[in-house]
Amino acid sequence: MNPKQSSRRKFITKSALAAFAATIGTKIVYGEQMPAGLEPLGLEAESGGSNVPGKSKLLTVLNSQPWNAETPAHLLDPDQTPNELFFVRNNGIPPLDFDLSKWTLTIDGESVAASKTYTLQELYKRFEHVSKHLVMECGGNGRAEFNPPASGNQWGVGAVGCAKWTGIRLKDVLEDVGIKDDAVYIGYYGADTHINKNPDDIPISRGVPMKKALEEESLIAWAMNDKQLPEMNGYPLRLVFGGWPASTSGKWLTRISVRNKVHDGAKMDGQSYRMPKYPIQPGTEIPDDDFEIIEAMPVKSLITYPKSGAVVPAGKIFEVRGHAWSGDKVVTAVQVSLDFGMHWRKCVLSPPINRLAWQRWTSQVKLPGKGYYEIWARATDESGNVQPMIVPGWNPHGYLNNACHRIAVKQV
Amino acid sequence: MAELNENDEDIIRLAGMKKNFAWILVVFCLIIPTWVFIDTMLVFPESKASETSTQPDSEQIIYEPVVFDSTEISNGIHIPTGMIADTGCAEVVRNCGACHSLDLVKQNRQTKDGWKHIILWMQETQKLWDLGPQEEIIVHYLAKNYGPENTGRRPNLQQIEWYQLD
Repeated sequence: MNPKQSSRRKFITKSALAAFAATIGTKIVYGEQMPAGLEPLGLEAESGGSNVPGKSKLLTVLNSQPWNAETPAHLLDPDQTPNELFFVRNNGIPPLDFDLSKWTLTIDGESVAASKTYTLQELYKRFEHVSKHLVMECGGNGRAEFNPPASGNQWGVGAVGCAKWTGIRLKDVLEDVGIKDDAVYIGYYGADTHINKNPDDIPISRGVPMKKALEEESLIAWAMNDKQLPEMNGYPLRLVFGGWPASTSGKWLTRISVRNKVHDGAKMDGQSYRMPKYPIQPGTEIPDDDFEIIEAMPVKSLITYPKSGAVVPAGKIFEVRGHAWSGDKVVTAVQVSLDFGMHWRKCVLSPPINRLAWQRWTSQVKLPGKGYYEIWARATDESGNVQPMIVPGWNPHGYLNNACHRIAVKQV
Repeated sequence: MAELNENDEDIIRLAGMKKNFAWILVVFCLIIPTWVFIDTMLVFPESKASETSTQPDSEQIIYEPVVFDSTEISNGIHIPTGMIADTGCAEVVRNCGACHSLDLVKQNRQTKDGWKHIILWMQETQKLWDLGPQEEIIVHYLAKNYGPENTGRRPNLQQIEWYQLD
C-alpha cells in the first residue's frame, strides 16, 4: 500500500474509531481492521486490480462504483469469515466522513406510537448486548451462471459469508419505542448516497416483515468478529437478518420505519429482489404483478477446501470440507460426488453454533485413479429441500442460484 | 463462376476485375472505418451529462469532441477503460461511466432487447437521462461486443489454475 495514498483514509478511520470508542464509553479492539489498500473513494482506477477500501486484495472486484466484490470460495474456509474478506455489495456510496457522536437512529413510521431517536451511546447502554453467528448472502449470488444471462453484478459463488455479529436485538428497540398492532413491515434507511449524485434519490431502502424483525437473531449490530464494522459493511451501524437476502440487512443505518403495509422503499418494488410466483421458461417476460419478494434464501453449500485446481498424488487421502446453510432452516445432510452426480457419499456435518449460522461439513476423499474429476457438494435441509445439480429456475434478474458447488481436481 | 468458364481470356479478365474490386474494397475498408474511428473513438465527446439530461435535443453539445491519445488502444481494447474499442465505445464510456463503473457493463452479456431493457430500467428508476440519438449507437455497440453466448444449463468449469496438493 502506498502510504501517501492511504494517509487520509487512515486518519479518518482512526479518528472515527476513537470517536466511536469515546461515544459508547468502551474500547473497541483495533486489531487488523486496517488491511492494505485504503484510498479515498473515487481515486481508484477503472477496472482490474483496484482494491475495495478496507478489504483484502484477494477479493474479486466486480464493480468499483459502487463497490461490489466477492470472496473466492477457498477463502471462505474459516468458520467466521474474516472482516477483510467479507463480500461487499453496495448499491450506493457509503458515508465517508461523519461525526460519530452525532450519529443517531430514529424509529418512526405509521405503526409506532411516537417516533424516537437514539444516539449510539444510548443504544449501547440501554439494551442487552447480543452476539450471533449469522449467514449473510446476496440474493444474486450465483447470477453469473444463468442462461440467458441475467443483468446486474455477475456474482460467482462468493457473495456470502458468516460472521459473528454483535449488537442489540431489533425487537428490544422496537418494544422500547412501542409498536401498534397494525405493524406489517420494517423498512430501513441508511446514510449512503445514490450513485447518480442526486441528493433526493435513495440508493436502497428495503426491510423485512414483522415476524422476521422480531426474531431473537435479528440484530442492530455495531461489531463484526469482535471488531468495528468494516466501512464497506455498514460502519458504524447496520441491521443483520441471517438467512435472508443481504439487501434486507440495511447498512450505515440511520432510520427504521415501522410500516402498516409492505415497505415501499427503493428496490422493494418492480422486479428488484423478487422472484416469479411460478416457474417461467428461460428468457421470457412476465408482468411485475407476477413477482413476489424473496424471503429466506434456499439451501446451499460451498466447498472451501481444497481450492479448485488441486493436482492430487496417486493414492492420497485428503479432506474435502466446506459450509452449508439454508435460509431460516437447519441443514440435515451434505453429500459429495466424484463422478458428476452418479454416486453420492455422506459427509460429517456439524450443527450450527447458533440458529442461522452456517454448518461445517467434512469428508475424507481418495480419487479412484488417474483422470479429471469434479467434486460436487449438495446439501439437504430439514424440510427435504436439496440443492439442484444444474442451475435452478431461470428468472430475469438471476436470483437464488443454489446449484451445487463444483471444484476441479485431478490425478496425473 | 471462373471454373465454369472455358475461355482463358475470360478467366484472366475476371481475375483483373477481381483485382480492381479488391482495391476498391481495400480503399473502402481503410477510409470509412478510419473516418468513423476518428469521429467516434479518438475524438471523445466532452462530458456534458447534466446538460444532456435537461436538453434532450442538444446534439451539438453531445458531439463536442475531446481528443485523447490513440496509443491508448491496444489489441482492440481501449486501455484506460478496458472496453472493446469499436464504434459506440465513446458513447458508452461517457454515458454509462458517468454513474457506475464500466466493469458493470463489461461483465454483462445481453441481446439488443436486453440492453434496451436495462437502459429503460435505469431511466425509470435510476434517473438515467434520455440518450437521444446515442441510444441506438450504444445499444448496437453493446449487443455486438457484449452479446450473450448460449452456455446451456450449466457451463464447464472455467479458468482452472492447477496446483500441487501436498
